[in-house]
Amino acid sequence: MRLPAAERRRPTLWDAAVVLAVAAAALLLFFQISPSEGNFLTATVVLDGEVIAEYDLSALTDPVSLRLDDIPYPLTIQAEPGRIRIVESSCPSQDCVHIGWVDRVGAQIICLPNRLVISLSGAAEPDFDAVSG
Amino acid sequence: MPHSARHLTRCAVLTALALALSVAEGLVPLALIFPLPGLKLGLANLVTVYALCRLSGREALLILVCRCVLGALVGGRLSALAFSLSGGLLALGVMAVLLRLPALSLFGVSIAGAAAHNTGQILAAMAVLGTRAPLVYLPPLLLCSLITGAVTATACILLVQRVPVPGPS
Amino acid sequence: MKRFFSLFLLLLLLLCSGCSAPTVGDTGTFNEFFAMDTIMRVTVHGDAGEPAASAAREEIERLEKLLSRTLPDSQVSQLNAHAGEEDAVALEGDLISLLTFARSLSADLDDALDITIAPVMDAWGFTTDHHQIPTQAQLDALLPLVDCQALEIDPQAGTARLPNVGMAVDLGAVAKGFAAGRAESVIRAAGADSALLDLGRNITAIGVKPTGEPWRVAVQDPQDSNLYLGVLALTDQTCSTSGGYERYFEEDGVVYHHIIDPSTGYPAHSGLLSVTVVSPDALLADALSTALFVAGPERALDYWRREGGFELILCGEDGVVTATEGLEDAFAFQGEDGGYTYEIARR
Repeated sequence: MRLPAAERRRPTLWDAAVVLAVAAAALLLFFQISPSEGNFLTATVVLDGEVIAEYDLSALTDPVSLRLDDIPYPLTIQAEPGRIRIVESSCPSQDCVHIGWVDRVGAQIICLPNRLVISLSGAAEPDFDAVSG
Repeated sequence: MPHSARHLTRCAVLTALALALSVAEGLVPLALIFPLPGLKLGLANLVTVYALCRLSGREALLILVCRCVLGALVGGRLSALAFSLSGGLLALGVMAVLLRLPALSLFGVSIAGAAAHNTGQILAAMAVLGTRAPLVYLPPLLLCSLITGAVTATACILLVQRVPVPGPS
Repeated sequence: MKRFFSLFLLLLLLLCSGCSAPTVGDTGTFNEFFAMDTIMRVTVHGDAGEPAASAAREEIERLEKLLSRTLPDSQVSQLNAHAGEEDAVALEGDLISLLTFARSLSADLDDALDITIAPVMDAWGFTTDHHQIPTQAQLDALLPLVDCQALEIDPQAGTARLPNVGMAVDLGAVAKGFAAGRAESVIRAAGADSALLDLGRNITAIGVKPTGEPWRVAVQDPQDSNLYLGVLALTDQTCSTSGGYERYFEEDGVVYHHIIDPSTGYPAHSGLLSVTVVSPDALLADALSTALFVAGPERALDYWRREGGFELILCGEDGVVTATEGLEDAFAFQGEDGGYTYEIARR
């Protein structure tokens, strides 16, 4: 079988059309996702060094709850579009509940008695290496 | 015919070549110059294009799958298999179709292939990670594929023109 | 043609055997663990990263076994258990030097910091997290026990003694800073010169980032966990922040936080929401952040004008964030988002 493309040495006008199509797809996609680019937000729930859950907060449409019973102090995590919190915990200090909603890349909720860390990461890297507070 | 020694040798050599090329381009860390995950020249695509032009779709597919599996084994990263296979298969499919269009040259075919390869990889990453996050990398990757596709197309034209059509076995 | 093929095969073998894929970028060795009732993260860059990070962790865990009040076998627990007894308790040199430092800083700061605050902390339930409000009578009975100047230290003999029954030492205000200083030495001794220690949000920056830029440390907005007062550029410095917003409980609508004023026995109420101390001395930064939170804005700035070796960021209840002049260039204020105004304090 003879393939005309294989015999050509120079690009044709139709090649330019392909280039345009790819570039157009790239631009279209870029503008499609760019409004939420800064909000690309993933919440990772780590229990004693092990990832037990991950939520794409930017893609979430309905609130979800995660009830953890098999830990020293059972607690409930609540995720909504764009934010997450520990809504209720049986840990004595309640520090994790006090933090409330977090919605920024780099933010964290830590429940020390449970050795549980929820951290937010996303496409927009935070402009710092650590947080003091 | 398909199982003749000649045919087998030809496929094996092309697989080895594809594997060598994909390992070789790993030595040129393009991502260091331009930090974009998944960015590479896609030299192994050369072999796919050559096989599509001078052999057949079936053989091109065979070579591609062998190359991806061997590449994952050699690199020791089986997890990469999903990415290279999905990218490679999508690129193969798109190029096989475009090659049948009368008006295109290998430039258009190769650029479309590179773009398809990147799209396939990102789709696989989204599936594996279960999040839409990798999608942000697709637009810049697509733009880069215009350049990497043109580079491989130039090499492809040389390859297809210079390396003689294998005679009937 | 045959030669051509064998060349290809040779090339393939060479490529596959000799080399592994180069690592892209230096993400450093990252070690996260729980110690001293908090979460700790050690990041060390460079070739010595891995041994340096594990050595730092071992050092921190060693110090925890020494300094913890909740571990019954720790040296601090030994000291506390023998309070009021005739004989002094033999202690390791590390602990002797830390006790001596804390006692002298306490004298410098008119008792805004007191490591013998333990009995009052216990009365509030902050040690066990079973919170309660002690009665004034209870506090009146306990406050005489809070007096770190009465702590007897004999550096020559390597012993210390709490003279009265019921006295107890709690190093919560200084232990993380002390550990950070020691971990820093261990990391440097291991040959690493670019590292970041996050010991329960007390941040120690060692050297600069692998890119050659200073480390960037955000300072938490005490009123909103999603906002920051600003970002500090740090090189070979520790940044320690104390505030009542980290640990507290509420009863009848009143917030009681965990930083107790040793003079009243009540949570400190000095007009500050948080204090951030930046110093090359990790121990000083940690100790001062607690002490100056208790002392309040005027005394904090007076102390800064009198002493050298540290800089401050004070976040006041009035919504004013004050940075001392040494941080003018290093601190990028971002508190507008939280409704704060910004001032520079000068000597």
